[in-house]
Amino acid sequence: MCLGGAYNMLIYTINRILQIIPVIFILSVLVFGFVHALPGDVIDTMAGVEAGEDPEVRAALEEEFGLNKPIYVQYFIWIGKAMQGDFGNSLVTRRPVNTELIERIPATMYLALVGITLSVLIAVPLGTLAAVRRNSPTDYAAQVTSLAGISIPEFWFAILCILLFSLHLAWLPSSGYVEFFDDPGKSIWYLILPALAVGFRQAAFTTRLTRSSMLDEISKEYVDTARSLGLPERKVIYKYTLRNALIPTITISGLQLANLLGGTVVLESIFAWPGIGQAIFQSIQLRDFPVIQAGVLVLGVMVVVINLLVDLLYRVLNPRVGMG
Amino acid sequence: MSEKKISNTFGKQSRREFLASTTAGVAAAASAAAMASMPGTALAAPKRGGTLRFATRVDGRGLDPHRNIIYYVSNPLAATTQGLLDLNTKMEIVPGIGSEWTISDDLMTYTFKIREGVEFHNGRTVDAEAVKWNYERIMDPKTSHAFTRSSLKEVDTITVLDKYTLRIRLKGPSAVFLANVVYYPCNLIAPDSADQADTHPIGCGPFKFVSWKRYAKTEMVRFENYFETDSLGNQLPYLDAIEGYPKKEDKVRLTALRTGEVDLIENMAYSDVGAFKKNNSDKYNTWDIPQVGCAYLAVQSKIGPFAMDHPNGKLMRQALAHAIDREAIHQAVFNGLSESVAGFYSTSSPWHMPGIKNVKEYDPEKSKFILRKLNAMGTPIAVVARDTYEYMHNSGELVHSMLLDAGFKATNGKFDNPVLRQKYKKSDYGIDSTANSYRFEPDGWYSRNVLSTAPSTKLRTGYKNERADKLIIEARATRDFQKRLELYTEVESEVNEDCALIYTHAVPLTSAGTKNLKGYQPAFAGPFNIAGGGIRTAYFDK
Repeated sequence: MCLGGAYNMLIYTINRILQIIPVIFILSVLVFGFVHALPGDVIDTMAGVEAGEDPEVRAALEEEFGLNKPIYVQYFIWIGKAMQGDFGNSLVTRRPVNTELIERIPATMYLALVGITLSVLIAVPLGTLAAVRRNSPTDYAAQVTSLAGISIPEFWFAILCILLFSLHLAWLPSSGYVEFFDDPGKSIWYLILPALAVGFRQAAFTTRLTRSSMLDEISKEYVDTARSLGLPERKVIYKYTLRNALIPTITISGLQLANLLGGTVVLESIFAWPGIGQAIFQSIQLRDFPVIQAGVLVLGVMVVVINLLVDLLYRVLNPRVGMG
Repeated sequence: MSEKKISNTFGKQSRREFLASTTAGVAAAASAAAMASMPGTALAAPKRGGTLRFATRVDGRGLDPHRNIIYYVSNPLAATTQGLLDLNTKMEIVPGIGSEWTISDDLMTYTFKIREGVEFHNGRTVDAEAVKWNYERIMDPKTSHAFTRSSLKEVDTITVLDKYTLRIRLKGPSAVFLANVVYYPCNLIAPDSADQADTHPIGCGPFKFVSWKRYAKTEMVRFENYFETDSLGNQLPYLDAIEGYPKKEDKVRLTALRTGEVDLIENMAYSDVGAFKKNNSDKYNTWDIPQVGCAYLAVQSKIGPFAMDHPNGKLMRQALAHAIDREAIHQAVFNGLSESVAGFYSTSSPWHMPGIKNVKEYDPEKSKFILRKLNAMGTPIAVVARDTYEYMHNSGELVHSMLLDAGFKATNGKFDNPVLRQKYKKSDYGIDSTANSYRFEPDGWYSRNVLSTAPSTKLRTGYKNERADKLIIEARATRDFQKRLELYTEVESEVNEDCALIYTHAVPLTSAGTKNLKGYQPAFAGPFNIAGGGIRTAYFDK
């Protein structure tokens, strides 16, 4: 990339970052608004049946958690503290929300990143191979596999994996989570099945996308030109065609990653994986507002950042992509 | 003031006498029997060591045992806690840290002798001052959960008589105070550790807290100075450590047991119990644990056609009761593992009342007859259930269908707790398919869910029956077990006649563990941290 290109890239990046600010602000308002619009009274949940109707208890809890202030005041207090990294305390555990989330986000990121990496590692070679060897047994096999991946519900595939690898073969644990830095080997051992369950379905989508994208590219004139110039087929496919064909794949993988970071509640339940999806789901059931707000906001920011990175990656992969 | 003293040297007594443990003499008897029945006495040589990996259905909500309800069931953290008194495998009150106690004849003064030499996990002595500090903290709305606090609502004054003697004066006579402080439970934490109660609680139970990652793992290690010993004088517990793994889904827990990832699970799905026992009895032990309470239908009787003050309300509620086919629920929801009940306590419970009257048998024609007679065919009624317990909403679905068959215009829905709570408040439901358990002392049920002035009654059913109220209050101040049983039998007959609560099934729960886990016996109703049983006497033989 020349100096001018680098400058353009910098300006583009700054612009994109500036665009993120209003997005996050709107997101914060929506999150706060939706959470407070949830049916059910948080004070009831906190006070329990015995004291839920006791005005003194209710007043004390409202005072303690600032719930007696007007909603817009609560919002500004919350967002003001959030900007300093303080999301308050959980209404349920009374521990700092940061602690609650910090315990969960790594588990979710770990699973999502490995799952999506697994998906890309399966899907890109398989999709490319299927396109290059169109209508061959390889292509048919890839298509059938990806169709199966799309058709089989994720939770069912997960259960099948547990039945095979945990119960019958006894190779892998059926559920649980070990932090990577506590015991890397054991951590990976516990990760394999959930990552496979996550990765298989994502890979199915991505394989089909990569295949069709590759077929599009292969049929373009520049490929014929490259071939007529005598370039080796491997170079034509892997250096020029695949690079262009990967743009939609990256887009989808980015969205898939963002989606996975939002948590896969069902898979987390099946594998007893202590991820953010379950945390937010359980916080919603308990109306633990600070945890829900912080969790959704943090996830929202992560999604926005991933989209930014994907956009920047387009530019790296194909400099002809516009800077608009 | 005359008092009855309870010592630890009572002779053998009957179970019924035992269960009058809210009265002075029998509490001590319970102690002696509990010690005698310790599994340790029957075990050849319990081995020390090992880590028990225990998968539970739920996890704690927080660590501070005063702010959070840490049930004896389903919560690994219960292994770290201990109250003034203890429970044995039969859920009888036995001495624990309070080694003996006296109760005044007027049932208003309870004097406890604290066992000497008991320590908190940080080495501080558990003495009368520590117990007083804990109880005062529990009584403070700023530092306790309302549910736990309610167990001490009768307390007027707490006086430290000497280092190991505590006197509690109540506002009114109560025969159930001991049960309240055990059950709810009023767990003790070290007074000098209040500031870390939410992050690293210092209790005095058989295991010390190490770490808690919510919904992932709880780690606890053996408390080396725990006071309880087995009958041979060996210090309990035998295990070195416990790891708690909350796994919400029943099948996930079961699979974890079968794949060797955990050693013990609780709450098996009803649909799995039969096949699991049949196919795996050589590898696993199972414990069918009868529950204290039961599943029931709570009828919203505050407003509308089923209301207590509606001229036809009682007949309409009886029409509902006649429409319920308990046998169908027994087969379809509980896989034939439940027991139809006439009252809150099943035949497994010492508080079972065989003389309960007025049970409304399944008779849909009678339901239709009543509805036709009242010109109430097509009366709308919403069946609701909590979404977290499958059997509750499965029962709800069946009840919905039964009510449709009987001629009601029934609807059905399952909701999370906050929404359900809102529906209770607004009286926006007809029947709640629900359940209640762990109330080993009947006052815990009748005073909280039948008594018309109880917050829960007012919130949900709005049930009002002056005679039932009078009986419940009388029973609370009655020492004699048999007399109390008679009073509660009358209460249940009133409840059955009024049909604001329709008892349906007693529901057992099944736990399972690996064969090499020995000496483990959960208590009646499920608690696992109990005197002379549970995790305190559990050990691995390999």
